[in-house]
Order: sequence, then structure tokens, then C-alpha cells
Amino acid sequence: MGAQKKGATARVSEDPEELARHPLQAILLADSFTTKFRPITLERPKVLLPLVNIPMINYTLAWLESAGVEEVFVFCCAHSKQVIDYLESSEWSSQPNFSVTTIESHNSISAGDALRLIYERNVIHGDFVLISGDTVSNMSLTQALQEHKDRRKKDANAIMTMVVKQSKPSPITQQSRLGTDELFMAINPVTKQLLYYEDKAEYSKGFISLDKTLIADNPSVILHNDKQDCYIDICSQEVLSLFTDNFDYQHLRRHFVKGLLVDDIMGYKIFTHEIHSSYAARIDNFRSYDTISKDIIQRWTYPFVPDVLCGSSAIKVERQGTYRASDVTLSRSAQLGSFIFIGQGTKIGNDTKISHSVIGERCTIGSNVTIEGSYIWNNVTIEDGCQLRNAIVCDGVILKSGAVLQPGVILSFKVVVGQQFVVPAYSKVSLLQQPTQQDSDEELEYADSTSGTGELRSDKLNGDIAPDLSEIASELGTGGVGYIWKVFEGAYDEEWRHSVAPIPTDKLVKLMLDRDEDEELLTQDGNIISASGELKTDSDGNGSEDDDNEDSRDDYVSFEKEVEATFLRAVHENVKVDLAVLEVNALRLSYNMASVDCGGAIFYSMMKLAVESPHNSASELHRNAADIVTTWQKLLKSFLHDIDEEIEVILKFEEMCLESAKEFAALFPQILHLLYDKEILQEDAILRWADEKEGADESDKVFLKRSEKFIQWLREAEEEEEEEDE
Amino acid sequence: MNRVGLQYLAGDLSGGNARCIAMLQAFQEAIRDYSTPPEKTLTRDLTSKIGGFVSFLIECRPLSMSMGNAIRFLKSRIARLPLTLSESEAKTTLCSDIDRFINEKIVLADKVILRHAAAKIRDGDVLLTYGSSCVVEMILLYAHELGKQFRVVVVDSHPMLEGQKLLRRLVVKGLSCIYTQLNAISYVMHEVTRVFLGASSIFSNGTVYSMVGTASVAMVAHAFRVPVLVCCEAYKFHERVQLDSICFNELGDPDAISKVPGRVDVNFLDNLTDKQKENLELLNLKYDATPSDYISVIVTDYGMIPPTSVPVIVREYRKEYLLI
Repeated sequence: MGAQKKGATARVSEDPEELARHPLQAILLADSFTTKFRPITLERPKVLLPLVNIPMINYTLAWLESAGVEEVFVFCCAHSKQVIDYLESSEWSSQPNFSVTTIESHNSISAGDALRLIYERNVIHGDFVLISGDTVSNMSLTQALQEHKDRRKKDANAIMTMVVKQSKPSPITQQSRLGTDELFMAINPVTKQLLYYEDKAEYSKGFISLDKTLIADNPSVILHNDKQDCYIDICSQEVLSLFTDNFDYQHLRRHFVKGLLVDDIMGYKIFTHEIHSSYAARIDNFRSYDTISKDIIQRWTYPFVPDVLCGSSAIKVERQGTYRASDVTLSRSAQLGSFIFIGQGTKIGNDTKISHSVIGERCTIGSNVTIEGSYIWNNVTIEDGCQLRNAIVCDGVILKSGAVLQPGVILSFKVVVGQQFVVPAYSKVSLLQQPTQQDSDEELEYADSTSGTGELRSDKLNGDIAPDLSEIASELGTGGVGYIWKVFEGAYDEEWRHSVAPIPTDKLVKLMLDRDEDEELLTQDGNIISASGELKTDSDGNGSEDDDNEDSRDDYVSFEKEVEATFLRAVHENVKVDLAVLEVNALRLSYNMASVDCGGAIFYSMMKLAVESPHNSASELHRNAADIVTTWQKLLKSFLHDIDEEIEVILKFEEMCLESAKEFAALFPQILHLLYDKEILQEDAILRWADEKEGADESDKVFLKRSEKFIQWLREAEEEEEEEDE
Repeated sequence: MNRVGLQYLAGDLSGGNARCIAMLQAFQEAIRDYSTPPEKTLTRDLTSKIGGFVSFLIECRPLSMSMGNAIRFLKSRIARLPLTLSESEAKTTLCSDIDRFINEKIVLADKVILRHAAAKIRDGDVLLTYGSSCVVEMILLYAHELGKQFRVVVVDSHPMLEGQKLLRRLVVKGLSCIYTQLNAISYVMHEVTRVFLGASSIFSNGTVYSMVGTASVAMVAHAFRVPVLVCCEAYKFHERVQLDSICFNELGDPDAISKVPGRVDVNFLDNLTDKQKENLELLNLKYDATPSDYISVIVTDYGMIPPTSVPVIVREYRKEYLLI
């Protein structure tokens, strides 16, 4: 603390006249108005969640204090009582030259509402810093403020300065290391004016569209995708009144910033201030929680690091980034790896291995426990032989012996995991039941039941076990308590993007392949995988051959799909056969397939079309197939150059009859005959196929037997021909 | 030739091997462009010409021992050219000799050193290195490729801060590193299990002549009983005997230590009057000598040898490269 106070006074004295006029004010939103931290935030507000054992809001307040802010208005909404209680009991309520005032609201559902309420209170008198209570920073505001003020003097319309920082998103996942999506910003390099802001670009489209006036009006524009929005804004009073005037503004960025940029209201302008060496980041999701915790432990946020924030002697930093409170009970055989934090009163048993983790206060950890990359809060009991990887474990959780938490697991308050139970990856477990329906309006944060949850909890844990407990128990093994939240349809795919766990290797590989296909970008595998680090998870052993096979199979499947789509389009839009041939050829080249594959794929799509077009009986199906084959025989023929390719078609057909289009099974000989009549298949091909099949298993011969007559006929015809020749 | 000289001057080329290779390649080019003036013999004239180049290079920046050795090698090659050779033949032999020197004495030597040194890295080791030595960097990366689990401590010092370059390359490759300044050496030495140092030259009494600060690192390591491995190609060995680093050294730009780049608030030495400056001497030494007592082993292309064996290598080596 001492260090910061010195810093604060030093900075104030740098610029006494400026600050004497207006005490610098800040609005701190102690509510993120999102649901990303559910289920934890159902019971405790996000700003009070411990970040390396200190509530997040402390980092923000400490920074504001050191940056020379004198008055902070903390806006609390969800769980407002908890926030207010915390602030009142903390040191922040009694600081000289730094006043923290809380503003409470129960019906605000967005940042916009909050700012409107603050405007009504009429407490802001000049420029202010707008920040949310989950931001960690150590930047100096002096320069940014000065720039802001200078601009204001020249141009009264410069109402806001946004702080941005260099951060390159990963080329594979299109997401920054904080787990936020790629952000596109257009900035005028001379004036630093922000001209364009897009955080939800459609990657599938592969392009973003800029208004052409933007380029016409500015002599130069730089489009960045390598900047990170720090969510620290220096605003003028007008910002508040703008929110009041435009009552539909809810989200700070999505509505306010974009609204100003797009609608050009009253000519107001937003500028950016880039920081280079200092740190600023906001905890937006579990991934950024993980990233920022690591940054704090590695001291990038100095002076806002646990040993400084906790005061004099409580926490000691040791070698290899180990933070240890003074009264930790540590077994002699426990192995502590690098970058770990162990809070006060924690006991650690024999042969326990811990690395890259944070362990809170008064935890009891048994023997032979493995903890990697996990965040364990206070009063947690972990019995012998548990394994935790990249998990978040909230206060009061009990892990019975042998429990395993797979990567990405979130255990909310007081959950009990039964013996030997394996909590599957990315699951979220809470004592509270999942709200039955995901609210489509994601602005609606935390459950509206601040009081309700408390009662519910005490009910369950006050000895007399509620009747429904037995039913819950089954979800978490014997003796377990808690509900495993279901992941919503479609959301599962996205779960890994924001999880505490690092992105699994197979996802990265898959994404990389997708990307290769999309753009044929040259991504050097090795480089990218190693660059993103943390990838040495578990799938090292099983060689690359599997992967290769997998790849080519995947390729073939997607190629088949493409061909099918092309074919269907050709059918529906009456594309000429020649053009269709051309298109399929192009596909073949881009997927690097042989023409054998083409023939198979085209035939497959033809038959599929025949099956899918309405039919009542087998004969109708036959007619359908005949029609299609007649119309498109030229297309098919142009990929069947030799007998091998024709045999391939027959094999494909056989496969189809067995798997996807069983209706054809009965029609097999007829279709074969049809293809023969249309001269798509030569008799040699059919006979060769028959010969090949002779030696096969009985099960393989089903179709051969069915078409026996036809083949017989073919053979006889051939013989007759030969005889005639003679 | 001028380009190389200017690069030395600007500090774009640093590191004993890089400088030496650049110089040899410049010589190669010079030899290719050379034609013997009438009434002179190639051996005599070319030697004097090379002498001219060398004095130009010395003007740009004093030569390192390794470069001296390389020049000596070249001159001996020129002197030993058979008189019967035609000019073009002589030129091609010289060029291929230089190529061979670079290849055998530097590139291949590094590879051999790599093998030897990597054998000394075990899982769980904490390796300390000082400044930025390209051999040490190769060793670390090689050991990392072999899958050994170890951590690296990069110690650095003002004003060159070359360690940051090394650090960047190591971190990019995924090694786990600690970066610290020379001042903190005694703190960090506790956890270190081995010290790897590069050298500019090694004298025949086993004294290692290297970037300033190396001696302190070696001494602290010795005091902590941490083995010190000096990695150095044999062509950098020199038969001179030197006991301290004062009689032969290089002085850097004094401004470099009086100012701190990027820190405007550190300006205590600005605005001194001329009178006051008379009382001040800014000493920016580039090299220092580490006594052989502090060195456990020297890793060279001839294997791992104790510092006392240096004279043997020098003797044998002399013989050998005069015979090439």
C-alpha cells in the first residue's frame, strides 16, 4: 500500500493546478451485466470474486487511487448489498483523499441504465474515468488525461478517450489471449481518432465492410486487428447526457461507441490512447481470468501484485514465482512447481504436486493430490488422491478422495464431489439449479434472487438435509451435492473458447485445417502450435499417421459434400452439363482428388437426389433414378475414363445400398442394368466387379447374388457375340 | 570491406563468430576482385593489401583475438602458396581455404560443442548464461529439442543488454526463462545448477577473455560451488598469457553508460560543466579476463578440457592449421 500512496502523491504533485480545479472522478461499474461467470455469479458478484486471492475490485480501486483519482462512484446492481458491505468493511471507506461512494440500483439491467442513473444523481462535475470493477491495470493516467484535456480545448466534441493496447489475436482461433474475439478498429494515425469499431466480425465472411466516407474524410486510416480494448475510458460529462438522450443505449461498446461512430451524433468524436509498457486488461470470461491471474503472478501488473496489495508481511514471494503466506502447513514431500500462490492457513499433504495454481486461504489439501493450472478459493477441502487440471473451485467446496476434475470444470460455492467421481470437462456445477430457460437477453445478469439464494443454501447445509438432496447427489457420485449445469445446444462448441483450460490441441488442429481449406493460408504447423504455448497436454504419443489418415478422410467427406452441393445447384438452376463438369473439375483440383473420387461422388449425389425426391414405391424410385441418370449421364461419363473408375462407381453404389440409401438395395440389379444401358458402365467393368467379388465374404456377396441374373445375361451375351464373330 | 567495417563501427555486427565470418567473407570478396599489378608477385602484394584492410577494420573497431587468428591463418595460406600457381588458381585456392576455415573451425566446431555440452544438461537443471553467446544459445535450443526439461536464467547488464536478444529467441522457442540483471546475480545463483558462458578468447594460461561481467558471474558461481562451463571454439584460443584485463581491452562509447535510453528522469550526469567533467572519467570496458581458477571446464571442438590443457590445444592446433 505504501508504495502506491507514494506514487499517488507524486503524480498529484506533478500537475497540481490541473487537479486542483476538479478532483478527478471515476465511475466504477461493479456489475458486468453479462452472464459469463455463471454459475458463480448467482451467489456472489463478479467484482468480489478473488483474483489471486484478492477481490477483483481491489485491483481496480488500488489502481484508481494510484492514478490520482480522488472520488470513485461504485455502481452496484446485482448483489449490491454484498458489494456495499464489502466496501464498508474494507480499508477503502477510510482513505484520506480517496473517497468511495456507492450508488445502488436494483432495476438496472445494463451499463446504459447505470450511467443514466448516475446522470440523474448529478454527481459528476467534469471529466471522469469510466471503468468496470473487473479491470486490472497499472498504467499512468497522467498522459492520457492530458491528451484528453488538450483535445477538449481544441475541439469540444472530443468526448471520450479509449485506452487500447497492442495484442495480437491468435491466427487460428481469431481470439486474443484474453479469450475475447478479434477486434477491428480503424484509427486515424495522426489524430488518433477512432473511426470504426467492430468486435463481432463474421469470420466466415472473411471480410469487413467500412463506410467509404470514412476513407474519403480522412487522409490516412490504419485498420488494426492487433489492438486490445482495455475498457478504460476517459469521458467528458457529455457521455452521461448522451446516454440519457438515447435511452436505447445499453451496452457501452456495442451501442454507445458504435452508435456514435455510425450515426455521427452531433459530431461527437472518440479518440484512442495507446499504452505500450504498462498493463491493462479486463476480466471478461474465464479465459481472461486465467490469463490475468498468470500475469499478476508473473508480476506484469506491478505494483498491483499480491504481496504488495496484501500489505506488509502476509505474503512472501519466493523463488520461481511462489507466493506463500506465512503460516502455510506444507508437507516435506509436497512438490511445489513454479508460479503458485498459497494463501494463509492452508495445509498441504504428502506427495502433493502443485504447479501454476492459486490456492486460497484455509484450504485443506490431502496427500497425493495433483493440482495444475487451477484456481482454488477459500475453505476448500481436497481429500487424498484428487486430480485437478485447469479448474476453478469456489469457496467451501469439498472434493472427496479420488475425485477428478477434468480441464475447464467450474465448481461453484459449497459443491461436494463424491468419491472417485470424474467431473467431465467444461462442466459447471452449482448448488443452485440452472435457470430453466436461458434468457435470450444476455444483458440480464445475475439471478434476481439475492436474498433467495442465501436461504436456499442455508436450508441445504443446516444439518437437516432437504428431500431433494438425495436426488442431486446422484449427479456428482456418492455423497456429492450439486447440479451439473447442462450446456445449451450449440453452446458446447464454443465452451472451450472461453474456458479456464487452454484450448485443446485437437481443436487447434481442427481449426487450422478448416482455415487451410478456407483460405489455403500457409500456416506452418509447428510454429503455430508451439507459439501458442501450453499445448503439451496429453495427445503426444499416438503418432501422426492417424492424423494424416483422418485428414484425408475428412478431406474426402467435405469434398463429397461440395460435389453434392454443386450437383444439386446444377439440377435446380439448370446449369449446363459442360459448366457442371468444369465446376466439379475445379473442386477436384482444389481438394487434390483423383477423378476416381469424382465419379464416385457424382454418382453418390445423383442417387441421393433420387432417394430424396418424393416417391411412393420402388418402381417410382427406379423411374426417378432413371430420369436423373438420363439427364446427367454426360456429367458422370466425363469422369469415368477407364474401367477402374467404373468399378469404383459400382462399389460406391454397393456401399450406398448398405448404408445411406437402403431403398436402393432392392433395385440394385435394375440400376446396374440402367447404367449399362446408358453406356455409363461397360460390361467389362461389371464383369470385373463380379469376378472381384467372387472371392469375397458371403456377406459381401449380397448384391452380387441379386444381380446374378443380369451378370449371367451379360456373360451369355458376350459369348454369343464371340460366337457370332466366329 | 568498407561495409563490414562500418557494420562493426555501428555495432550491427557483434559476437565473435559473426564478426569473424563477416570479415572472412569480405576477404573472400576482396580476393576475387583482386588482380596482381604488373611486376609484383601475388603473395607479396596480396599480403600487404590484406594488411591494409585489416588496419582499416582495426580503425573501425579493435580486432578480437579470434579475428587475429583468422587473419594469421589467411596470411600463412597466402605465404605458402606455390609460386607455380597461376593467379586465378591461387585465388580459387584461397577462397576455398577460407570457406573451409569457416566451415571447419566455426560451423562444424559449433556443432561438436553442441553435442558435448548438451550431454552435460540434465532434466531439472537450471542453467545460467550471461549476455548473448551464439554457441550457448545453440546449446540451449539443441537441448530443448532433445526434450530435456530445464530452465534458463539469462543474466544481462547495461549498457549493451544483449541478453534481451537471446531471451527473446529462447522465449519464442518455448523455453522457460528468468531474466535478471548482473546486480542480482548472488540472489539467483542459489537455484542455478550450471553456468554456461561464451568467450571471446582463451589464453594459454587458461584465462578466459570475454564480455565484461563474465568474470563476476564465474566468481559468484565458484563461490556457490556451481560448475562453470565455458563454450568456445578452438580457433579462438590464443598463445598469449594475460593475468588481468587492463593491458589489452577495448573501450566502448562512454556516453553509453552515462545515459539510460528511454529514461528521461535519469539525467544526473547531464549539464555538467567542463570544469566538473575534468574530474570525471567514464569507463566503459568491453571485456574482462576470468582467471582459470573459476572455470570448471572448457567445452571446445576438441572435447571438454580443463583450463590447464589450453596450451596443449594451442600447440597442436597451431601445428594443424599451418598444415591445412
